[in-house]
Amino acid sequence: MPKGSHDKDLNWWFAQNRWTPFPHQLETWAAIHAGKSGLVHAPTGVGKTYSVWIPALQEWLRENPVTTKHAPPIQMLWITPLRALANDTASSMLKPVRDLNLPWTVELRTGDTSSSIRARQRRQFPSALVTTPESLSLLLSYPETREKIATLKTVVIDEWHELLGSKRGVQTELCLARLRRWFPALRTWGLSATLGNLEQAMSVLLGSHYDPHKAVLISADLKKQVEVHTLIPPNVQRLPWAGHVGLTVLPQVIECLAAANTSLLFTNTRSQAEIWFRALQEAAPQWSNDIAIHHGSVDRELREQTENRLREGKIRCVVCTSSLDLGVDYPPVEQVIQVGAPKGVARMLQRAGRSGHRMGAVSRIYCVPAHALELVEFAAVREAIAASQLEARVPLDRPLDVLVQHLVTVALGGGFHEDELRSEVQRAYAYRNLNDEEWQWCMDFVTRGGQALNAYPHFRRVVKTNGLYNVPEKQLAYFHRMSIGTITSDSSVAIRFVRGASLGTTEESFVARLKRGDRFSFAGRQLEFVRMRDMVAYVRASKKSSSIVPQWMGGKMPLSSRLAAGVRRKLSEARAGNFPGIEMEAAKPILEIQDLWSRIPETNELLIERIEMRDGTHHFLFPFAGRLVHEGLSALLAFRVARVQPSSISVTVNDYGFGLLARNPVQLTVEQWRTVLAPENLVDDLLACLNSAELARRQFREIARIAGLVFQGFPGRGKSVRQIQASSGLFYDVFLRYDPGNLLLQQAQREVLERQLEVSRMKQALEMISHLNITVVPTRKLTPLSFPLWAAFVQASVSSEKWTDRINRMAAQLEAAASRKVAK
Amino acid sequence: MNSLEVNCAGETLQLFAARAAFWAKRKTLLIADTHLGKASAFRHAGIAVPEQVTDADLQRLSNLLTFTQAARLVVLGDLFHARAGKSEATIKSVHIWREQHLELQIDLLIGNHDRATGDLPNDWNIRATEEFREPPLLFAHEAREAEDAFGLFGHVHPAIFCDRMRLPCFHFWNDGGMLPAFGSFTGTHPIKPAAGDTVFAVRGDEIADVSNLLRCR
Repeated sequence: MPKGSHDKDLNWWFAQNRWTPFPHQLETWAAIHAGKSGLVHAPTGVGKTYSVWIPALQEWLRENPVTTKHAPPIQMLWITPLRALANDTASSMLKPVRDLNLPWTVELRTGDTSSSIRARQRRQFPSALVTTPESLSLLLSYPETREKIATLKTVVIDEWHELLGSKRGVQTELCLARLRRWFPALRTWGLSATLGNLEQAMSVLLGSHYDPHKAVLISADLKKQVEVHTLIPPNVQRLPWAGHVGLTVLPQVIECLAAANTSLLFTNTRSQAEIWFRALQEAAPQWSNDIAIHHGSVDRELREQTENRLREGKIRCVVCTSSLDLGVDYPPVEQVIQVGAPKGVARMLQRAGRSGHRMGAVSRIYCVPAHALELVEFAAVREAIAASQLEARVPLDRPLDVLVQHLVTVALGGGFHEDELRSEVQRAYAYRNLNDEEWQWCMDFVTRGGQALNAYPHFRRVVKTNGLYNVPEKQLAYFHRMSIGTITSDSSVAIRFVRGASLGTTEESFVARLKRGDRFSFAGRQLEFVRMRDMVAYVRASKKSSSIVPQWMGGKMPLSSRLAAGVRRKLSEARAGNFPGIEMEAAKPILEIQDLWSRIPETNELLIERIEMRDGTHHFLFPFAGRLVHEGLSALLAFRVARVQPSSISVTVNDYGFGLLARNPVQLTVEQWRTVLAPENLVDDLLACLNSAELARRQFREIARIAGLVFQGFPGRGKSVRQIQASSGLFYDVFLRYDPGNLLLQQAQREVLERQLEVSRMKQALEMISHLNITVVPTRKLTPLSFPLWAAFVQASVSSEKWTDRINRMAAQLEAAASRKVAK
Repeated sequence: MNSLEVNCAGETLQLFAARAAFWAKRKTLLIADTHLGKASAFRHAGIAVPEQVTDADLQRLSNLLTFTQAARLVVLGDLFHARAGKSEATIKSVHIWREQHLELQIDLLIGNHDRATGDLPNDWNIRATEEFREPPLLFAHEAREAEDAFGLFGHVHPAIFCDRMRLPCFHFWNDGGMLPAFGSFTGTHPIKPAAGDTVFAVRGDEIADVSNLLRCR
C-alpha cells in the first residue's frame, strides 16, 4: 500500500454505524483535545468508553496524517477495577481501530495474563494497555517502566466510583501521582456512575494539587429512563414479617420472566440467590436449562459460560448477586428483578441500569419486597430516584498499609529520593494531610522494620545507597511483586467434586461446620459433603434436597443513611394518613396495625417499644440508622443500660432498629433513656464494651497482608516460603507486646472504629437522637416493627427447627389478632 | 505459676500455663516446638518481627527451670526454625542463656525443622536423637504408635476453640499426649479431640481442663 493519508476518519466511522455522538461525548472530546483532565459521569450504556477513547484516536490521526504500518508506542493506559471488564473494554476499543484499519494495538494485562506475554509487553508496550490497579502498581515496580511508557498521553480510570472509598482506590491514587510526576502533561480521565459527591470524586482522582482550570466534570445530561415497578404480593396480610425472602410473589416473578426474553434477578446475598434459583427451578421446570446462577463463589468457568449466554441472549434468567452489578453490558437484558430491599439509591439505579442497553430502550426494574417494611423502602427509593438524591462514596484517609506497600514498590522500580517521593505521595488525595510522624514511621518500617532502634536487628527490605532508596535483595523483590495488591477476603475454600470438577468457593467458616454426609445447595446444585483437605471441600452430587444454604459474610449491605431518611419520611406521611403509591397502599394494613398496637414514629421522634415476655423485658428502639450503626449502638446501650440497672442484656439488630433483651425486669424513665443515648464518651464506652482488641486483631489480617507481613500462598514455592509464613493474628500479638507504638496497630483500631462500627455515623445518629422526642410505648403484643427483631432473638437462642416453629406460631397468632382488629 | 497435674501411665506430669510440662520424678522439664530464630528468619526475608520474641521465650524458659529446679530439659523437636534464623543475634542470645544453665542436660528429639536447620554449636552440648524411651514414657517429635509406652510428642502446635478464641492446648489420649508449641511466635493448628480425650487449654497465665466443655457441645 502506497504511503498516503488516511481515507477514513472517526466521523466516517460514526456515520457508518449510524451513530450521532452524545453531547457529553462531544464535550469530553473537546476537553481532551484541550489537554484537560476530568471525570465523566453517566449511566451505563451511553458510550462512556468512546467518550475518552475516540479523542485519543483522533489526536493520533491528526498528528500522523500519513498512513503507517507501525503500531504507535503507548498512548493510553486504561485502568479497570474488574478483570472481567477488561476483555469487553478491549473489544470495544478495537472496533474503530479495525474498521478504520489503524495500526494501533490494544492489549490486556491482568492477573490472568501469562508471564511470557507480560514480559513481552514490558519490552514493548501496546498502543493502549487495559489493566487493573494491581497490575499498574506492579508495572511501577520495574525500573524500565518509566522510559518504556514515556509516550503516554492519557490514563483512564474506568468505574471510578467502584474504586473510590477502597484501598484499591488509594493504591490507584498513588500510582496516578507517580505517573503525573513523571509526565506532567498527562491527562487523567475517570469514568463513573452517578454519585452524591462527584466534585470530591474528581478531586480524589486528580490529586490534591490539580489545576481547576485544566479539569472538567462532565455529566451526561441524558435522562436515561428508569421504570421502577413493584410486585405487590396478592395478600399483604399474609406477607411474612421476618426472615423470609419474598417467595410469596414467585408466581408473579415467573409471569414477569415469561414476558421478556432475558432478565437478571438480583438478590442481596448469595444464600438468597441459591434459594431463589432452587425455587425457580422447582416452580418452572420447563426452564430448567434456561436459568443460571451467578455469584462470586461460583467457579469462574461456570460464570463465564453464563456470561457468554447472557451476551448472546441465549438465556431466560440469571439469578445473581452483586457479582453482576458492575460494568460489562449485556444488550439482551430487557429487565431486572430486585429481590429484597435495595439498601441504597445508587445501588438500585446501578442494578436497574443493567437492563435496556439497546438503543432507545428504557431500564426496567421490578422490585420484590421480602417483607412489608421493604414496601416502604421501595417507596422511598422510588422517591429518591425521582429527585436524583444519591449516596456519596467517602474516600479513605491515609491508610498506612497501602503507603508502606507503595514505598517498597517504588524503591523496587528504580529507587527514590525521600523528599521527592514524600511530596509526590502527598499529591495523592488520600495522603494530602500525611504528617511528619506518619511519614517517618513508614520510612522506618520499610528500612529498619520499625521505629524502636534495637528491635529489628539485621532487618533489611528497603536500603539507602547514595541517597537513593532501593531493594537490593532479589528474593525480596520477588516476594514483593508476588504480593502487590490490596484486596483480601475471608479465607475461602474451593468446592470440588470428588471426581475433580470444580464448582466454586465458599467461606471457610461455612465448611468448618459441615460433617461428612451433610447436604447443602451450592451453585444451584444439591451436594453432599465428603471431606475437607488442603482448603478444598470435596463433595458429591446428592439426589435428596436440603435446606442448608451456605452463608457468606459479604453482601450484607447496610441501609444507606440517605435511604433511611427516606424511609422515615414515608413513615411519617403514613402517620398523617397519606399512603401515596402502590407500595405504600400495600403496606397500609401493616402500618395501621403498627399504629394501633404501638405507633408509627414521627420524623422528630425516637420510638421505643417495651414488652414483657416470658424470657424477660424487651426494648425495641427504632433510630432507622442502618444495620452497622445499630450494631454499635445496641452494644453501647447494653453496656450503658446495665450500668444504670445491673442486668444481663442481649441484643439483635436490623436496618430499622435494634432490640435489647434483659432477663430481669428493666424499666428506664425517658430521662434515663436520654442519658444512655448521650453522644458523650462514645468512643471510650465503645472500646470498653466491645471486644475491640479482638476486632482489631481480625482487622489486622488485611493490613498485615497489604503491608507485606503476610504472604498468601505462592504456587509451587514449597518450604522456603512456608518458613516465613505466619498468621496476621500472631503478628498482631507480637507487635502489641513488643512494639506497641506500631502505627499499623493504630490503623487496625481506627479501621475497626470507622469501617466496622461506623463511629462517625454512630455519633451523628446519637446527636440526631438527642434532638428527638423519646416516646416509650408499652405494648402487649409484638408489632410489625419489633417482630423481626424478636425473631432474631429466638433464632439465636434455640435450634433451627424449633426456631421456625416458634416464629410461625407467633406470626400466626399476630396475624389472627391483626385480622380481628382490622375486621372491627 | 499456674499449673495442673495429669497422670500419664502412672507418672505424674505438672502442666504449666507457660506451655511446658514437668516430670518431677526425673527432674525433667518438657517443652516442644520452640522455633528459635523464627523472628530472625522473618527479618532476613524483609518482614519486620521484633527480636525481643526470642529473648522473652528464653526468659520464660529460665523462669520455668528455676521454678521447677529441673536438671534436664527435653525439647520435643523443632528447636530452631530455619537455617536463616540462626542469625548472630539469636545465636548470641541462646549462648548467653546456655551459660546461665551450664549444669542443665538438654535432649533434643529431632524434628523436621531441625533436620533443615543444620548442626548446632558443639559447646551448647545438646544431645539430639530421633526417639528415646524412659519407661513408661516415650519421647519423639511426631506422634507415633508405641506399644506398651506412653508417648509424648510435639510437632502439631495443638489449639482448641473455646468461647470463640483459639487457645493453645495440651492434648492427651489414652496412650499418649501432645504439648503446645513453646515458642511465642508460632502458629497453632486446631485439633479435633476424640471422645474420652483430655484437653488443657492455655490462656495467658491460666491453664484449665476444658474436656468437659468440649463434650457438652
